[in-house]
Amino acid sequence: MSDCENTNYIGKSVQRVDAFEKATGKAKYFEDYQIQYRDLLHVKVLRSPHAHAKIISIDVSAAEALPGVITVVKGSDTDIPWSDLPYASAYYGNPARYEVIWAGQAVVAVAAESIEIAEEALELVKVEYEMLPYVTDQRLAMGVDAIPVTSPELEIAAGYGGPQPEGPNVMGSYKLRHGDVDKAFEEADVIVEEEYQAGKKSTSQIECNGSIVEYQQDGGVKIITNGCGVHGVIKNHILTMYPQLTSSKVRVIQPVTGGSFGNRLFPLVEPLAVLMALRTKRTVSYVLTRKEMYTSSPSNWPVYTKLKLGAKKDGTIIAEKLELVEDAGAQIRGYFDGRLSSSGLMCVYNIPNVHCDSYAVSTNTVPCAPYRGLGCAESEWAMENLLDVLAEKLDMDPLEIRLKNMIKNGETNAYGEKVTSIGLGKCLKAVADGIKIDEPCQQDDGPWKYGKGIAAAGKQNTPLGRAEADCLVHSDGSIEILVSCDEQGMGVQSALRQMAATEFKIDIARVKMTRADTAITPFDNFGASSRTTYTTGNAVIIACQDAIDQLKEAAGREVGLAKKQITIKDGKAYIVGSNTEVIDIADLFKPFDFFTQQTWGLLKGTPVRGRGVFCPAPAVPWFGPGHEDGRTPRMWNWYQFSAFGAEVAVNEETGQIKILKLMSTADSGNPINPKLVEGQIDGGVIMALGFSIMDHHMYQDGKMMNPNMSDYRLPTTLETPLQKNFMRAILPDPLPDGPFNAKGMAESIMIPVGPAIASAIYQAIGVRPTEMPMTAESILKLIKDKEANNAK
Amino acid sequence: MLGVQKMKFNSYHEPETIEECIQILDEQGADAKILAGGTDLVIRMRSRVFKLKAVVSLNAIPELSEVTLKEDGLYIGAMARLMDVSKLELLTDAWEIVKTGAGNVSSMQVRNIATLGGNTCNASPSADTVPSLVVSGAIANIIGKNGPRSVLLEDFFTGPGKTVLAKDEILVSFKLPNYADKTGAVYKKYSIRGDTDIAIIGVAGKITLNAQGEVVDVKIALGGVAPTVMRVPKAEAFLTGKKLTDQLIEEAAVIASESCTPITDARATKEYRTEMVRVWVRHVLTDAAQEAQKN
Amino acid sequence: MQNKSNFIKVDCEVNGKPVSLHVSPDQTVVDVLRNELGLTGTKKGCDDGNCGACTILLDGKAAKSCSMLIGQVRNKKITTIEGVSNGEILHPMQQAFIDTFAIQCGFCTPGMILSGIAILNENPDADEEEIREGLHGNLCRCTGYVKIVEAVEIARDRMNAGGAKNEI
Repeated sequence: MSDCENTNYIGKSVQRVDAFEKATGKAKYFEDYQIQYRDLLHVKVLRSPHAHAKIISIDVSAAEALPGVITVVKGSDTDIPWSDLPYASAYYGNPARYEVIWAGQAVVAVAAESIEIAEEALELVKVEYEMLPYVTDQRLAMGVDAIPVTSPELEIAAGYGGPQPEGPNVMGSYKLRHGDVDKAFEEADVIVEEEYQAGKKSTSQIECNGSIVEYQQDGGVKIITNGCGVHGVIKNHILTMYPQLTSSKVRVIQPVTGGSFGNRLFPLVEPLAVLMALRTKRTVSYVLTRKEMYTSSPSNWPVYTKLKLGAKKDGTIIAEKLELVEDAGAQIRGYFDGRLSSSGLMCVYNIPNVHCDSYAVSTNTVPCAPYRGLGCAESEWAMENLLDVLAEKLDMDPLEIRLKNMIKNGETNAYGEKVTSIGLGKCLKAVADGIKIDEPCQQDDGPWKYGKGIAAAGKQNTPLGRAEADCLVHSDGSIEILVSCDEQGMGVQSALRQMAATEFKIDIARVKMTRADTAITPFDNFGASSRTTYTTGNAVIIACQDAIDQLKEAAGREVGLAKKQITIKDGKAYIVGSNTEVIDIADLFKPFDFFTQQTWGLLKGTPVRGRGVFCPAPAVPWFGPGHEDGRTPRMWNWYQFSAFGAEVAVNEETGQIKILKLMSTADSGNPINPKLVEGQIDGGVIMALGFSIMDHHMYQDGKMMNPNMSDYRLPTTLETPLQKNFMRAILPDPLPDGPFNAKGMAESIMIPVGPAIASAIYQAIGVRPTEMPMTAESILKLIKDKEANNAK
Repeated sequence: MLGVQKMKFNSYHEPETIEECIQILDEQGADAKILAGGTDLVIRMRSRVFKLKAVVSLNAIPELSEVTLKEDGLYIGAMARLMDVSKLELLTDAWEIVKTGAGNVSSMQVRNIATLGGNTCNASPSADTVPSLVVSGAIANIIGKNGPRSVLLEDFFTGPGKTVLAKDEILVSFKLPNYADKTGAVYKKYSIRGDTDIAIIGVAGKITLNAQGEVVDVKIALGGVAPTVMRVPKAEAFLTGKKLTDQLIEEAAVIASESCTPITDARATKEYRTEMVRVWVRHVLTDAAQEAQKN
Repeated sequence: MQNKSNFIKVDCEVNGKPVSLHVSPDQTVVDVLRNELGLTGTKKGCDDGNCGACTILLDGKAAKSCSMLIGQVRNKKITTIEGVSNGEILHPMQQAFIDTFAIQCGFCTPGMILSGIAILNENPDADEEEIREGLHGNLCRCTGYVKIVEAVEIARDRMNAGGAKNEI
């Protein structure tokens, strides 16, 4: 028998289950299925060149007449789901009907026999627009006098109720009142206040979004897609949008899939691809171009934060007042209310008096959706920067002020929630040691100046519904786990496999994963808010335990022992407390033939099926009568934490920034697979490095200026510090209700990167950036402003 | 049909001699484009910026890739791959600047395919190879229906994406004239992500000193700040005949920044480009003067 | 749809096998590899030659197959990710990518592996900075490059230690 220790895979860096197929080019991504369909149709979309315009007329006759064009879709067609809601197209990518509200919005779609024919057809479409005023700057979009992002009468006609009292573009608001802020500011010895802005950015995963939709003979559809949430997002939306498609007629498969980072959380390509398949009764493929990925798939939401902090002389922060505005881009009346972003300003430090007013506004820019971190990288940019200002005034060091005010395990935060897992203290100390924050940088006569900085971060996990898992025990004794979670590269199916092998105390080679096919695998919602390890992980454990329970019962019955007397390990049943083998699991499955059918028990070739369902407790309402203070004992689920330290060089002549050395630490809860956690740290750090100093949307005349991978500057191997200068550590605080005490971790990693770099820039050249990204141009401007001030 | 994104041109020609090539170009007229490495052309065809009837590949004409050292200078074939140019051992001392420019173009994968002639004929204002070639006094050797002709490279460009080449003409080679003693030449590309990015600006400078250390000849070429790569005659005249000091170099840099006419695009604002010209002309001239003293 | 009279004949070698293509000339190399030859391991990530996911080897040197017309590979030796391993026996570069967890979503991986091989073809002793210089034309959004660079270094060391060969 095997040693139990050897089958405990928790905390071990077991090889990824998908590594071989990915290293050999055998892994099939959705687009690789195209070659199976010799009669594929291709969808291409004509997009608005204007930030805001009324559609006066659309003439598609020439496009329709082009040989090879099968169908043309425009917003006024009656079979477009929700076509009476003009703004639904922002989320679901369908052609606009009345007006376009950002440059990049779909106007006409074509399905044709080839990509070139579809593209040619789009050039034959004539659209007449009437220009309308637009607003792309979120600060200009606020207020009652702002230029409306949409025409109010259309909004009312669509049932949205028209403009809000706070202003034509205000989508929603969230307010929190905790303690007495005014009194606390009176009692404070030091008060600091500043305005911060974090920019607009695209996740830019290398695999573009797309789907292949196969029309079925029963009138249904099979969707092969890299979209997220086969059950929770795609199938659910398609069923809602197309009433003729009943549950049995929609099958969604997510094959091997490139990164998403939140970008694919809404079904952006599937609705149109399904419409085309239903119209043409053929298989259609719809793949976004790289330009469309930038102009027509969601960006993050930029955040403006005005933050004020009050502290006592000893460094205790007693008052926090903030006004925060999320820019939701071109969409009207969504879930945006500022709550997600402002959560970053509640979850790291324990401040007894908090006054938070947060809003969301729309603008005529690319619509916004989650981007790894859900707005917290954008909001905590303000907190971490202002903390440095405060520390300087108090003559404290950046580590001390953070440790002093950090929430401790068991304490209650501003929402009124009790925090159950926080490993931030050791994360912070480790980065301060790692980059030797106490040792000043050596300076020389050249244009490069050097500095160091650290910052901290936290990120909530939103309870986002349930996950289910099936656990099959095959009659050869091997295990198969069926789940529908997204696998976008983070390695979660490898981590789930380790959990299952550990539950069964079995060699991991005998555990197989089957994933994300709504015809086969059970419900899961979608991969967001770092929930999969936690939610799907718990479901897998429950499913395994259910299957083990059934095996114990079967084994007990076989040998006349009670279920409680049986334990399962290494594919065999043993008597509890002894090493006495009762029966091999495989022998529980009885062979049968045509004449000798088994009347009871387990049959060879037919697996035992264990079922697991896990749902985190939902949030307790924070809105409505009696909740005017916005507080609740349960707003979120749990929190992940991270700290970051950097040594940077700033060029005084050009404003350019280089990251020379860095250290990132993660409180991941108990890590299931440390190498996978490291991979998430590395990727998160570099993604954040990019949006901290380089990559962002730039607008001119209402249009994105840089929708390509040349001008949208993503980090390469050359912007990443050398291996020896790239340090990281996993410093877990176990999560009591996490699977094997694990929690998600991949979002908090990003958050402290920008502020730590800003802190280092201040040390290097004495200017404090307030806008992110800290581009070379913006830093040079700060340097010039400072020189001009000094000259005065 | 499969997910092939075709570009819908009718004919693909791969002549094996220059004469054959010119004949094809003459027949095809303005609807044809010349394919060198393709790293720019193919992308622009796919994005439907270019809609062509014919593509004429130069890849089967071996003599276009030849590199020859002659009495009057170094001849580099237009089809020489940028990777090979960036490692060309014949490019020594004041010619090394051509290596630098070629090595600054994009990544390994692109340099392996893209050519010196292609990067030039593309006529991008921010092409990395061009400022170096211009200050080196490179001459473009052209051939067409009416025979060969030579054009000073700085006169080769007529606007963004435009050159003096007639529709029946191809660029055959570059001639780098021999350089004088005590000559130093430096190219610096300024961009945010090194070679990955298209240059925000590129600055090439070449300085020749006499025995007294006075400037006998100076050439400054700027990329990315005007419709074509531009020289800065005012700054050159200012420095000629003088013994260089930090102060003089700074003044020349200011003149250069005042002479250029950059635009704002996704890579930088015009104000930033102007300021960067000042910074990088100073660095380039300082380094070139040092090189000149060494050589 | 296509007028076959314009088709061109392109003889080349793909993954060690001679191939004679009769194709429409207005196609890129990556489209022919994926759609005519079914070699879908070569990925398409951008439309502008920037992401490097379509990297192949052309006579042992890295090239972006999205930026070349099919006519340009006439008489050349192409290697795609499918031709890197010898059946089940992985190339040391592939093994190193697996061993170091340099693969996450995997979409950039084929291009990264081929660039890694090309770097060592050119310089078997490439140091970290040379490896980073060689890889900067390949974008990755998941891994932060740390483990990818580590993988190329490990492959280099294993190949230089003998045994494993790198003849592509």
